[in-house]
Amino acid sequence: MKKLLLATTLCLTSVQMAAADGSLNLFNWGNYTSPELLAKFEAETGIKVTVTDYDSNDTALAKIEAGGHGFDLVVPSHNYIPIFAEKGLISELDLTKLPNHGNIAPEWVDVPWDAGRKFTVPWQWGSTGVAVNTSVYGGDVNTSAVFLDVPDELKGKINVVPEMNDVVNLAIMYVGGEPCTEDTAVLKKARDVLLAAKPNWISMDYGATEKMSNNDWASSVNWNGSTMRIRLANPDVVYGYPREGYPLFMDSVALLSDAKNVDQAYQFLDFIMVPENAAMISAYARYANGIAGSDAFMPDDMKTAPEVVTPAEHKAAGRFLPTCSPKAQEYLAAIWTELMK
Amino acid sequence: MSKQRSFNVTDLPGFTTIAILAFLALYAPILTLVVYSFNDASSITVWGGFSLRWYEIAWQNTAVKEATLRSLIIATSASVIATTVATLAALGTTRTAPFKGQTAIYAMINQPLMVPEIVTAVALLIFFGIIKKATDYLGLGYLIAAHAAFCVPFAYLPIRARLEGMDLSLETAAADLYANRWMTLRRITLPLLAPGIAAGAMLAFVISLDDVVITEFVKTGGQETLPTYMLGQMRRAISPEVNAISTGLLALTVLLLTAFFLLTRRRD
Repeated sequence: MKKLLLATTLCLTSVQMAAADGSLNLFNWGNYTSPELLAKFEAETGIKVTVTDYDSNDTALAKIEAGGHGFDLVVPSHNYIPIFAEKGLISELDLTKLPNHGNIAPEWVDVPWDAGRKFTVPWQWGSTGVAVNTSVYGGDVNTSAVFLDVPDELKGKINVVPEMNDVVNLAIMYVGGEPCTEDTAVLKKARDVLLAAKPNWISMDYGATEKMSNNDWASSVNWNGSTMRIRLANPDVVYGYPREGYPLFMDSVALLSDAKNVDQAYQFLDFIMVPENAAMISAYARYANGIAGSDAFMPDDMKTAPEVVTPAEHKAAGRFLPTCSPKAQEYLAAIWTELMK
Repeated sequence: MSKQRSFNVTDLPGFTTIAILAFLALYAPILTLVVYSFNDASSITVWGGFSLRWYEIAWQNTAVKEATLRSLIIATSASVIATTVATLAALGTTRTAPFKGQTAIYAMINQPLMVPEIVTAVALLIFFGIIKKATDYLGLGYLIAAHAAFCVPFAYLPIRARLEGMDLSLETAAADLYANRWMTLRRITLPLLAPGIAAGAMLAFVISLDDVVITEFVKTGGQETLPTYMLGQMRRAISPEVNAISTGLLALTVLLLTAFFLLTRRRD
């Protein structure tokens, strides 16, 4: 009987979800939303949050553009926010309904993709750098030379993640160019550096969290949150911030133009800007948030983690990759295709 | 005597080696997945002793439970619809005089086997998007309809195979004994066809159960199925919890396929 009831409710809830009766539909990356955060939100407001996963910005964009999706909030990466905004898929926030808006750390307010934070609220951010096992290589790790001019100790032991934008732009910055450049001389240099380095790579694959924890790889181009988890399992591993420039990314929450549960969505947006709650988001997915004062509530192993708390001397080299022009995108893809051959 | 004349593939040099390698390639990865689902450590590659804790964690995870239940509801509904349609289609294409365009009909029924899944997925995304906006209905109906559609050929093929292998003289005899068409169908054709229908239904159920691409595109808020939930978990570190869920799904599939095999086996 209980099962039957549950089955019926499952069928019915999906129908009724559209009605604003204390529910909220969050469309977010898989394994990215802290269940404790949602439980706390429900306890405080009585609003039940249903999370649905996506696995890429493109999937999320396609589903929302098709319409009739039933979601209220979405969490795209920074370079997708302008696309969502230009297409009119997300709506400008009414800041009077967000008293905690002032909690956004000053450095995260006037961001290039959303000046003044009129459309989005920070969720989590991180960087792409190099993870290096110092028992194998003791040299300088804060440079892209680790994978672009591979030191002898790391030859045949270094992995590069198959992320076009991250990898090619790291190479462009390494040769002194700007991310998403259209300057063919710079692009040519970047391509040559990549092609010359590739024979020294063991693979171009995901899974550094596993493979560096068990010493299959001695180094990898990798994300900061993942590198922190590797270090906790394998203390020899450090995270390098390439001084030539390294990509930053930030996923932010936006309110969809056709959201049905608008009031509930505002309550949620305001809720996640409370420092204590923002810290819960970080504690779950292991990336930094953008809320001032949340550090105090972070788990101890994150408070001092050099991967999460960017050391001051490395801050300046971090760059948010812009939304590349179609032409620049074409160049990137051409280099990438040649590299993957 | 006959040994010299007939060609036997097992006599070829290297047959055993190649066979073993092929089976290894097929089953070693699955075996690894199953073994590490019993890992006590939270890694999928470093062994930390035997334990059932990931099964316990998966079992206590409400998201997993809801997704499993939803997957079962969709697979059951979709396979019932698909099997009904497939049975009618099989009868219509085998119990009639050959007609013009029969091959075209076969091709159309089996279309989901040929068209790349991603194409169907994008088409459904756009098509359902229009309906969703027009009707405001956001329920499981879309997923059930989509699954039923691509499950039809999987149900159709075993049913048609069974119908073609069935002795027509029994149906002719029934007609001779003044049974009308409906009675022949009910008393003779359907009972003989039952194993084929059951096999088709089970195949459709399994196909629906593990679909990812179309589900990912069609699902709306709160409609995570087990495979799309697992895909979502993959983005960050994979824990043996996913192995445990996979092993459960695998066990269910093997169970159903064994039943399928037993039902379709000819009784000698």
